[in-house]
Amino acid sequence: MDFITFENVEREYHVGNSVIKAVDGISFGIHMGTINVVLGQSGAGKTTVLNLLGGMDSPTKGRIMVGGQEISDMSEHELTTYRRNKIGFVFQFYNLVPNLTVLENVQLAMEICEDPLDSKEMLIKVGLEGRLHNFPSQISGGEQQRVSIARALAKNPEIVLCDEPTGALDSATGRKVLKLICDSAESMGKTVIIVTHNALIADMANTVIHMKDGKIFGIQHNESPKDAEEIIW
Amino acid sequence: MVRNSLFRKSIRDMQNAKAQFISIFIMAALSVTIVTGLDSVWKTVEDNTNIMYSATNISDMWVYVSNPTEKQMWSISRIQGVEHAEKRFTLNAKSDLAGRPTLKVYAFSSQSALDRPILQQGSMRSKSGVILDEGFANKHGLGINDKIKLKLNKKWTTFTIEGLALSGEHIYSVKGTTMIMPDSSKYGFMIIHEDMLKGIYGQKIYNQISIRLSPGADASEVKNEIARVLGDDLIGTIAKGEDSSTNNIYANIGQFRTLSTIFPLMFFVVTALITQSTMFRLVENQRGQIGVLKALGYSKGRILWHYTSYGVYMGGLGALTGFLIGPVFFTNLLIPWLQLNLSSNQMSINYVNLAYSLLLILACTGGISLYAGLKLLKDTPAFLLRDKPPKEGSHIFLENLPWLWNRMRFSRKLIARNTLKNKMRLLMSVLGITGCTGLIVAAFTLSSMVEGIARYTYGVTYSYDHKIILDEKADSRYIHNKGLDGTVQQIKETAIEIIRPGGIRTMEQLTIFPLHSPLIHLQDVDGNETHLAQDGLTITRKLAQTLGVKVGDFIELKHTDKSYVKVPIRQIIYMATGQGMYMTDEFYESIGETFKPSAILVKWNQQPDEAFLASDYVDEYVDRVTQIEDTKGSTQVVYIAAVLLIIMGAILAFVVLYNSSILNFSERVRDLTTLKVLGFYQHEIRALVLTENILSVVFGSIFGVPLGKFIADVAASGMNDQLDLLSHIPFTTVVISGAITLLFALINNSVVAQKMRSLDMLEALKSVE
Ligand SMILES: Nc1ncnc2c1ncn2[C@@H]1O[C@H](COP(=O)(O)OP(=O)(O)OP(=O)(O)O)[C@@H](O)[C@H]1O
Ligand SMILES: [Mg+2]
Repeated sequence: MDFITFENVEREYHVGNSVIKAVDGISFGIHMGTINVVLGQSGAGKTTVLNLLGGMDSPTKGRIMVGGQEISDMSEHELTTYRRNKIGFVFQFYNLVPNLTVLENVQLAMEICEDPLDSKEMLIKVGLEGRLHNFPSQISGGEQQRVSIARALAKNPEIVLCDEPTGALDSATGRKVLKLICDSAESMGKTVIIVTHNALIADMANTVIHMKDGKIFGIQHNESPKDAEEIIW
Repeated sequence: MVRNSLFRKSIRDMQNAKAQFISIFIMAALSVTIVTGLDSVWKTVEDNTNIMYSATNISDMWVYVSNPTEKQMWSISRIQGVEHAEKRFTLNAKSDLAGRPTLKVYAFSSQSALDRPILQQGSMRSKSGVILDEGFANKHGLGINDKIKLKLNKKWTTFTIEGLALSGEHIYSVKGTTMIMPDSSKYGFMIIHEDMLKGIYGQKIYNQISIRLSPGADASEVKNEIARVLGDDLIGTIAKGEDSSTNNIYANIGQFRTLSTIFPLMFFVVTALITQSTMFRLVENQRGQIGVLKALGYSKGRILWHYTSYGVYMGGLGALTGFLIGPVFFTNLLIPWLQLNLSSNQMSINYVNLAYSLLLILACTGGISLYAGLKLLKDTPAFLLRDKPPKEGSHIFLENLPWLWNRMRFSRKLIARNTLKNKMRLLMSVLGITGCTGLIVAAFTLSSMVEGIARYTYGVTYSYDHKIILDEKADSRYIHNKGLDGTVQQIKETAIEIIRPGGIRTMEQLTIFPLHSPLIHLQDVDGNETHLAQDGLTITRKLAQTLGVKVGDFIELKHTDKSYVKVPIRQIIYMATGQGMYMTDEFYESIGETFKPSAILVKWNQQPDEAFLASDYVDEYVDRVTQIEDTKGSTQVVYIAAVLLIIMGAILAFVVLYNSSILNFSERVRDLTTLKVLGFYQHEIRALVLTENILSVVFGSIFGVPLGKFIADVAASGMNDQLDLLSHIPFTTVVISGAITLLFALINNSVVAQKMRSLDMLEALKSVE
């Protein structure tokens, strides 16, 4: 039984008179507790898939099931509850709240969910014990991304969604960040979905979904995924 | 073409920040509307009054005296400072029209040069013809050639109306102290030829001397000289400005003058703050663009003008709109309510203040915009083009209070940090709300003050059914023997000349009644029951203020046909209306006068004694219920003012709140989106933006109460010299004003919340800014 399933999911955008199919009838399934990568070039529709899964957008056609719940026909309010309790996001541009300290940024997310983890512990885990009371503007990009990861994980979500988490980082820092995501998710039994255009990252996934022009053209299963630290780009 | 493209840019920028720029425009327009409007009101009144004063050749002083001799007239005309003196006869007389209205009759000779009427229709053709008050004639449907009957010297005489006119002495026309506001149907003037007096009184008689002072003459010095010349024959002297007409006009002018200077100040400051918060934000957002313009080679001046022009356009446009609306709107709305009988209502504009307010508004808009531009322009293009330095989070003082800070929820911390980081914006909204609450408090306080007059005077002070003005021939004994079926209180009301400490002479009202009166219930200034002082004068609080006297001071009173007597002030009382001096009948007799009632107050046991009321022992009478209605009716202008104040308050509140919420919102779209993605519900996000408004409402409402009291006091001070308005603000007013302000804030919040629904989560996550 798949934890997440997409069934003929379609997402159209109307721009003026033309219709753009950002996602064009895709179907796939994802097992619980696995690490998955959605791979594709710019404009392939990866972010759209992630947004649909994260409950930030709804499909124009098809069905999305998560843990037996259909999220594709949820109301705005139900989607918010779903995001609140089930989803952890890691963004390409970190999206920390500049007016809150590192610690507070993590606490902010916990404040609203049902079963949060300890925020300080989470930050220690990502190696930021020394920067708890700094503001985002006072720490580096890699460190900000680590805060963002701690924030996503502290909510204790079932699914961690990452959109180009290494997009704004150099390769060494990127590797560290990826390892952090994978290790923590693995140890906590989270389902992780990483969106990227970097094919090398795909090696660390259990499953790789290849996308192009809104369609899936291949799903690849790795028997023995590489450790994040072994990846070189 | 270069200019053109920059101009197009400013138009688009303004479109993008529509709400803010419209706010600047509205505030600028409102500020100028209020200044020019209020200014125009007093200027129009002043100019038109002066026109009438010079057209009628109004006297500078009137001396009350019975039948002055030729020698006295000659001596007065020789007094230094007196340019011209002439005698005339004047008297209040009852007419036979509906409601028995009173006319003040003036007898003129063809040589009279002072206090001439301004003829509006017809002229005095015959000696038996009269000129009638135009307003009075209109109210009673009278015209040229109609007849009017007046009771003079106990006889009814019929006159033919030959002309209609206005008088400089009756611009604000009230009859003594029984009337609060002018009412042309109840009181007016009439001019007869002095030769007619022979037929009525058997001889020519005079009781007043009109005096024209030479320029620069000292009026109080002249008064003393006149008192010396007339000796015991003097009844009293009134200088122009002390008479109720001029006095009330000056009070009106002063009131609007004060309002027009202090009142708009608040609006100017809010305009400046709105411009500040809008322009600082705009310029900050455009740092990169400024860098590009500089890199392209635009001169500093041109870029500065570009940003200054935003404010100049809005401020200039607003000022123009304000100028077009203000004077016309305010003069047309307010001047009719002042009930002045002016020959023209030609609008005057105070160009001096217009120029000032224009400069001020441009400083508040253009000046502030220029300042915002200057702040960024000193940086080099290279620096401007580089990424904006990351928005600094910073610790705030609250964090030093761990017992408080650690207990706060994060959303609260976020609000606290954000609010304290934008202190100017907070200042703007608090100030705007202070203004709004102040205006509402003022509106309610003013209306309750005015309602209080009727309630207090005819509910607390007096408990009679009828006040009956007696005819000459009715004396104490007659009233006593008459045995009216009810509680009867004899009183005497008169006007006498006094010399206050410092030697200044004025005429004041004196009322005499017994120590214990069943129908008059006096209260002291703290609202406690009290009664007349037995061994001296009791005076009202307002008169005490005007005269500058206190308990223990001495005042000299002019005896009838005798010299002055010095009496102490023993007691100060509060009277809502009818300011003057009071004493007991016993004390009055003890200073050598005789108590003869001029009126009685009656509380009937059963039905009023109609036969008595209709008898010729009764000059006129009025019942308390009518007095209450009249008082209420005549003070309606206050309700117009109250509505105006509340509307202005509402505009102020909406503009500042909408502006600050939109700024707050657009500044933090990215944060808010992140929160939305994290799973914050709509209402939680809304709270982050809108709690700040509630904060401003709380502080603003608190500061607004004293402001409202201040505005109400100023507005009330010039309303009428007969009224003593208690500006005590009941707690309910505070609560209601706060609630209305809160309601405005909630309406605003729901409008903004509607806008916030459209928050696009996916947009904001795409790029860094
Ligand atoms: N709001 C929108 N309106 C119109 N078209 C859109 C919108 N969002 C996405 N698209 C289009 O849908 C397609 C897929 O977009 P998507 O953002 O999912 O791509 P992506 O794979 O994430 O690309 P990238 O790697 O550059 O982020 C693109 O062609 C894009 O132009
Ligand atoms: Mg993308």
